[in-house]
Amino acid sequence: MAPREVDHESAPSPAPVEKGFATLSTLRIGVKVFVEKDGEERKAEILSMQTRKGKPTFYVHYEEFNKRLDEWVAAERIDLNREVEWPAPEKPDKKKQGAAQSKAHPAKADNKIPKGQKRSRSQVERDSPATPGITESQGQGKAPEPSKAGGKENRDGSVAVISTVVEDGTPKPEDEEMDLVDVQDAAAAAKAAAPEIYSREDEIEKLRTSGSMTQNQTEISRVRNLNRIQMGDAEIEPWYFSPYPVEFSDEDMVYICEFCLEYFGEEKPFHRHRSKCTLLHPPGNEIYRDDYVSFFEIDGRRQRTWCRNLCLLSKLFLDHKTLYYDVDPFLFYCMCTRDEHGCHLVGYFSKEKESAEGYNVACILTLPQYQRKGFGKLLIAFSYELSKREGKLGSPEKPLSDLGLLGYRAFWQETIVDLLMEPGRTDANVEELGTLTAMTTNDVLHTLQNLNMLRYSKNQHVIVLTDAIIEQRERQKEKEKIKGKKSIDSERLMWKPPVFTASSRTWNW
Amino acid sequence: MTQRQTAQRFRQRKLSTKQNLPVVREHEVEKTTAEEDAQRHIPRVETGVEKGEEIEHHLQAVISASAAAAVGGKVAQIYIPTPEAKASSVKYSDLYPRQFQQPATYIRFSSTVEDCTGTPYCMTSEDEAWLKVLNAKRERGRNSIGPCSEDAFEEVISFFEATAQTKQPFAAVDNPPVIPYDEMEDAFDDTIDPSARAFARDIYSHWKAQRVKRGNRPLMSNLKFETGQETDDADPYVCFRRREVRQVRKTRGRDAQVTEKLKKLRKELEDARYLVHMVKQRELLRKEQLAIDRKIFEQRSEVKKVKRDLGVKGDDEDLINQKPVPKPSKLKTDATIAQRAPGTILRPPTRPDGRPPDTEIVLLDDQKAEKQRMIDRSVEERITQHQNWNVGFHDLTWRPLTPPLEPSNNGFQTVIVTDHALPSPPPSTEDDMDVDGAAAPSKPTEADEPVEPSDSTPTTTLAPKALRSSTPLSYLASTPAPSPQPLYPEAPVLSFRTRIGRNNRTWLDRRITPSTPTTPSTLLHPFSNLFNASKAWHANHSLDSDLDFVVADRMKYESDNDEDDGEGGFVRDLLYPVDHYSDESMRLRSAFAVAGRRDSVGQAGPPGQQQGGGQGPGQGGGQAQEGLLVAPRVPQVVNASVS
Ligand SMILES: [Zn+2]
Repeated sequence: MAPREVDHESAPSPAPVEKGFATLSTLRIGVKVFVEKDGEERKAEILSMQTRKGKPTFYVHYEEFNKRLDEWVAAERIDLNREVEWPAPEKPDKKKQGAAQSKAHPAKADNKIPKGQKRSRSQVERDSPATPGITESQGQGKAPEPSKAGGKENRDGSVAVISTVVEDGTPKPEDEEMDLVDVQDAAAAAKAAAPEIYSREDEIEKLRTSGSMTQNQTEISRVRNLNRIQMGDAEIEPWYFSPYPVEFSDEDMVYICEFCLEYFGEEKPFHRHRSKCTLLHPPGNEIYRDDYVSFFEIDGRRQRTWCRNLCLLSKLFLDHKTLYYDVDPFLFYCMCTRDEHGCHLVGYFSKEKESAEGYNVACILTLPQYQRKGFGKLLIAFSYELSKREGKLGSPEKPLSDLGLLGYRAFWQETIVDLLMEPGRTDANVEELGTLTAMTTNDVLHTLQNLNMLRYSKNQHVIVLTDAIIEQRERQKEKEKIKGKKSIDSERLMWKPPVFTASSRTWNW
Repeated sequence: MTQRQTAQRFRQRKLSTKQNLPVVREHEVEKTTAEEDAQRHIPRVETGVEKGEEIEHHLQAVISASAAAAVGGKVAQIYIPTPEAKASSVKYSDLYPRQFQQPATYIRFSSTVEDCTGTPYCMTSEDEAWLKVLNAKRERGRNSIGPCSEDAFEEVISFFEATAQTKQPFAAVDNPPVIPYDEMEDAFDDTIDPSARAFARDIYSHWKAQRVKRGNRPLMSNLKFETGQETDDADPYVCFRRREVRQVRKTRGRDAQVTEKLKKLRKELEDARYLVHMVKQRELLRKEQLAIDRKIFEQRSEVKKVKRDLGVKGDDEDLINQKPVPKPSKLKTDATIAQRAPGTILRPPTRPDGRPPDTEIVLLDDQKAEKQRMIDRSVEERITQHQNWNVGFHDLTWRPLTPPLEPSNNGFQTVIVTDHALPSPPPSTEDDMDVDGAAAPSKPTEADEPVEPSDSTPTTTLAPKALRSSTPLSYLASTPAPSPQPLYPEAPVLSFRTRIGRNNRTWLDRRITPSTPTTPSTLLHPFSNLFNASKAWHANHSLDSDLDFVVADRMKYESDNDEDDGEGGFVRDLLYPVDHYSDESMRLRSAFAVAGRRDSVGQAGPPGQQQGGGQGPGQGGGQAQEGLLVAPRVPQVVNASVS
């Protein structure tokens, strides 16, 4: 999906699209048609086709909608009175994915392939001229204060700052408006853009050495494979593809044990399993407990099966999560609510045992049945609590999902606004805010800028607590008073940062 | 605009993340429009969301809503729509009974999913139907075992699955025939309960049918793991690949190195395992022995009781363990007894009844005391002996001494050649050095040697304090020491010893000792290296040095590493019987040592070290020279690998 929109956004001159009218029988994978969605017609791409009960059905992805809204639609919902867009001619280098696709869904394997790879190549050309300048400015100040830096990402930020100051870093003299923040942003932009120029090999190598998020289209199967899942007392529609056993795609319902997260394509074995399963909480040590939730720490290497199950489950709801490599290098922090049935998994985040990029969260998820209840903020707060205990600054692994971004922004805003509103505070500096919150300098800046709090007034930069923001926060606090504030109490965290020796890393112990 | 001006302006406008910025309220700053800010100071922030998704409709809606809220607009809470999650119709409490009790302390837990889920196989509805039929049949057949439970069924299927996985790990790929029942039966082990086994044959038919239906693939749904095939990479179902450990650059040298390391590791582990095995064997034997001892004791008490009842006197020697003891002696205190190293003598049976022992019976205490006294005396004698031996010498050694001169034969056992019958060797004594010390049939120079070559009595336990540090153990081991004087002057004396070398190899060392104490120049030797040897001897005669003989002796082994050389390096030299304590002799030897060292440094390696060197005399020239240089006293050693 991503590459398509990239095109739409910035490709200089997209190849002319071949349009025309189609009939049901000429529709094929890759064709973009107008589909009725919630009372309006939206352009959607056909990703798969099947005949169900003698009727053709189409799996479509709506443009500018998240993939989680992709769905199977009956032919009636497709408006054939409007012109459709035919897919570009086949690219020979795309066979692989087509093959895999048709294998999984033997519908009408039309071998039309999404244009991801080809386009990323053109992206390379487009992006590369800009990149050198940025790397230069990044490279200028390699030295300063590595101790403070939580990781590469954080380092880049402060590096950019210092190089601007010391070396009169004016990469583009003609740009009068050049500001430190621009440099920094450019660096960040380069980082964010970088994934798009990854080749498949680069991507896999990146996944091998670290990380759990993929940006490569080929990594993601485009058609959701499970229909529904039953877990605990909830029934959930999956959002994305997850590599559960192939035969599960034929089942109407997949049953997942709430405690061990084992999965069953049929009810009988699931019931049998429940009669045998003795697990009542995530299989690890409880490291946090308050009246509301508990946190368990699970080592991916010691609890391989459970963590694999967890990853399979969470892949259903995380688009960019990759299960390409095994769970060994991650720790999983699982948040549970408790009752007399056991500890119910509400959400979790994973964290690399050692993150080269200074990430303090790899994947983060609140299970759909618990969403919009404030659990996400608790998870995020907990991840920063761990970073504080480690004495490091942290940031979530990129790319963030849409929901992830909103969750993080909300948390950052609240955290920083609370700090700035502390009585008696007359000034603040960005790094100090970072140190107090375990947030990276970049994320602090991001938040301040996003809230329009960073202004330039009377020849200096100031942080403005705007009326709207204060009001917003007051309203929030009122709500908290009524509902009870859910937060992490660092006193209750019984945790020391785990240490992994060189040999354990080398030998995967 | 000049570059400088730009810089100037830039400098004014920079924002430092380290610099304290005033925190102000909105009314304290002049109003700026949002566009102005966005243009001039506040560039767009990177969201971290993938570019393509950033522009998604719903996300943008929420972002602009919150942006509006941040500037004071009233906006309703907007959510990104997500697919449905609703309450399930299942009876939750049936599936998940109320059985959790929260402990007072934080939970600590390390069991795995496998530990907590019992039998891996969970029966399907198809299995259930089949099982019903089976049990109905059994019911009709009035079978004595009763119906097959679901647990038993799953246990058996799990066993079949596990066995199939072990025996046909690639069943999914090469599709072999389903494992026949007989083979399954052979594999039955503890994992399958005997009560479940009764149904195994019936269940097998069902299992086989299911397997066949699936192309002999496992019945349980499996994830796709990597198979090493090329299709893996594009297959979205293949997951949880192994993350290879940091790739080290591969070179042949590294490979070899790693192989060596692994081999060594393996060997060490094997050794450890073997050791443990042997310890276990020993302990088993000991246990057996204890049982026997106990039996003996019990039977003796029986006998004693009978004897006492019947008033039988005499024949009491049957009631204790008979030991060949020189003479009984008076009692010693228990404390001394306790000091004795354990296990050195057989323990006579104890008396649990605590009654005073019969007078006819030799007292255990007497026995112990006798033994102890003997040991003590021997130790003392050895101390004195050692002191005498060192009188008039300054002990300049910096390592333990090599064996003393006269008595030691390093455990060599002389072989009497020609028409003399070979004597049977006395029981060998073992010491720490793993040298099988053996007494030679020569005249006992230490006739008063009190230490009998007693079985299972490690010499070292006898004299740890006085002798260990400065006197080599073989000194003790070779008792009675063989004579330095050959019995048959005309013939060279052949002697042998076995010893345990590295890698637990047993070596058979052969030594040829020229017998007659003649002058070196006239020494007749049956082997052809004589000439060279004596020449070398003369060549070095004039050299002087104050090196100790003992060092010289040790040097022999430093240049002559035939042990390491292993395969039968045939090295030989000569023995020149001399007065080893004469000044001249010692000087001479030290001179040899120096020369020998020089030689061995100068040469790449002594010629005698050639692998598989011929056994014949023709080869001996250089070797003899070498050997002679370093150690005229110590006879030539011939190595042959025995084991
Ligand atoms: Zn379970």
